[in-house]
Amino acid sequence: MVGKKRPLKTIGFYLLVIALVIFVGYPFAWMLSISFRYDSDAFDHGIIPKRPTLTQYKQLLGFEQSLRDQLSTEAEQFLKLIEDLPEEQQKEIVKEKGLLKTESSFPFIRFFRNSLFLAGLSALVTLIVAVLGAYSFSRLRYKGRGFIQRGVLIVYLFGGTILAVPLYQIFVKAGLTGNGPKSFFALFIIYIVQTLPVSLYMLGNYFRTIPYSIEEAAIIDGCSRLQTIFRIVIPLSLPAIVTVYIYAFMIAWNEYLFVSIFIRPYPAFYTLPIGLNELFYSEHAIWGKMMTASVLTAVPIIIMFTVMEKYLTSGLTVGAVKE
Amino acid sequence: MQAKAGPLEKKEASLGWKLILPTVIIIGGLIIYPVIYNIYLSFFEVSISPGKPNIFVGAENYVSVITDPGFWRSFGITILFTFLTVAGGIILGLGVALMMNRKFIGRTIVRALILLPYITPVIAIVFAWKYAFLPIDGPLVRSLSSIGLMDPGVDLINDPNNAFWVVTFFNIWRNFPFVYLMILSRLQSISKTYYEAAEIDGAGDWAKFRFITLPELYFVIGSVALLRGIWNFYKFDEVYLMSKFAGTLPIYIYEKAFIGVPQQGVAASIATLLFVVMMILIGYYVKKVLKW
Repeated sequence: MVGKKRPLKTIGFYLLVIALVIFVGYPFAWMLSISFRYDSDAFDHGIIPKRPTLTQYKQLLGFEQSLRDQLSTEAEQFLKLIEDLPEEQQKEIVKEKGLLKTESSFPFIRFFRNSLFLAGLSALVTLIVAVLGAYSFSRLRYKGRGFIQRGVLIVYLFGGTILAVPLYQIFVKAGLTGNGPKSFFALFIIYIVQTLPVSLYMLGNYFRTIPYSIEEAAIIDGCSRLQTIFRIVIPLSLPAIVTVYIYAFMIAWNEYLFVSIFIRPYPAFYTLPIGLNELFYSEHAIWGKMMTASVLTAVPIIIMFTVMEKYLTSGLTVGAVKE
Repeated sequence: MQAKAGPLEKKEASLGWKLILPTVIIIGGLIIYPVIYNIYLSFFEVSISPGKPNIFVGAENYVSVITDPGFWRSFGITILFTFLTVAGGIILGLGVALMMNRKFIGRTIVRALILLPYITPVIAIVFAWKYAFLPIDGPLVRSLSSIGLMDPGVDLINDPNNAFWVVTFFNIWRNFPFVYLMILSRLQSISKTYYEAAEIDGAGDWAKFRFITLPELYFVIGSVALLRGIWNFYKFDEVYLMSKFAGTLPIYIYEKAFIGVPQQGVAASIATLLFVVMMILIGYYVKKVLKW
């Protein structure tokens, strides 16, 4: 289709495509590049790492302790004295002097675990509530369902910015702040609230595309309404259900506003967004580690998206993702 | 079928309500109620310790907001930010959609790649951009200064004068794939016969775009602009994580309510104003542009 008659136009078009790829891929390329470097090489020119290494990944995932982690504060001053030596030699000297400490300064795994738990669980609860709710307003007839349907659409448009103060006040009054576990629970509820409208909207749209005659046949065969939901509707909408789950998961995985309001005093409960951002502004910000953490944070989402690409892409255009 | 409510209809209605009940409780209790509660709070000096009661102050919060030049500055910045990001995102998204609607070698890969900015978690991509924008050492700054486009010593992210542009650029970069997807799916459904007919009439590329493509896209572009406008107006995390110094209203509210000495009543009154302005704009837009 690209201009058969005019080769110059074709070349121009491909140049445009290349420009687009560079524009989109630029930060990702640097992110990957830095994540395969030693900290001392982070500002080397050129995008190809000169001394590629997996050490950042090993350290973040806990297979290897970083030198920094093994040192106490006083010992860090000592490290300054020997910083010109190669890393292997530094390690030996440090070991000899017995300057090791145990606590990790970059608890990536903890952030990851908290995020996984919170996003996974809140998305699951959202999904259950949304399947029942969406079935109700897209399939059953009763007074007030039109009102509820429109209500969901309007709520879809409310931003977290407006809800931040009142929700905080409500949770303070309800006693769901003040220590780590309580605040974590508050956050769990907030993520359900944040992901519910978009899930309802997307599932409702999908349920309407399932021919009603299939359900009728099941009802005639003696299934109750609830049984048709579990035996007919849910299996038929599995792709949509997985899509909605992934979206709900992504929203919770991304969330920063509420986690920073509720969880900031409790580092043990930090999720990835707040954990990484706090580390970035602390003394432990090291570009190699930050980029590696970025890659590892993005990978689960990108994998999910790639596996489900067909459904997710159409989900994006049908329901749009609430942000 | 619209006979009087028999036992079956009644059963259906009662099941309907049972299934929707959890949804109604969650949305009513934790979205609708907070919005109203927010308006209530905006008339109080809100105490931050649970023991102390709130003090009714009437319209004082509103007066202090409206007379605060910082608020108006933020408000202006937010309007400009929303306008630029929506316009930029739509122009870029439209251009890319037109490109991806043609067949070329490697299209599948490029199409998948384009979605990356939008699906990658914000926290996983801000640091890479921050690195690129670092003064002197950042690769983007190095490239731009080597061709004489900027001074390498300029701090783009932590200088409030530049932060606005960085944040605007980042928002467009991140969100254009959303616009692109919406437009592409509409493009693919435009009938080829329109273009064939136009070609027979001797229409060039520009004429085809102007008189077939654009009118067909009017509604989808209008809707996307509305959604993006609302989301970007309220946008907090993408802006704040990229630069704390961008000065938009959501950041202003956040800092008033949760940083330093919290003034949550004032923050509530700003949020209420924001909400009212937004509802008026949406109502006007839906009527005039989308013609619902």
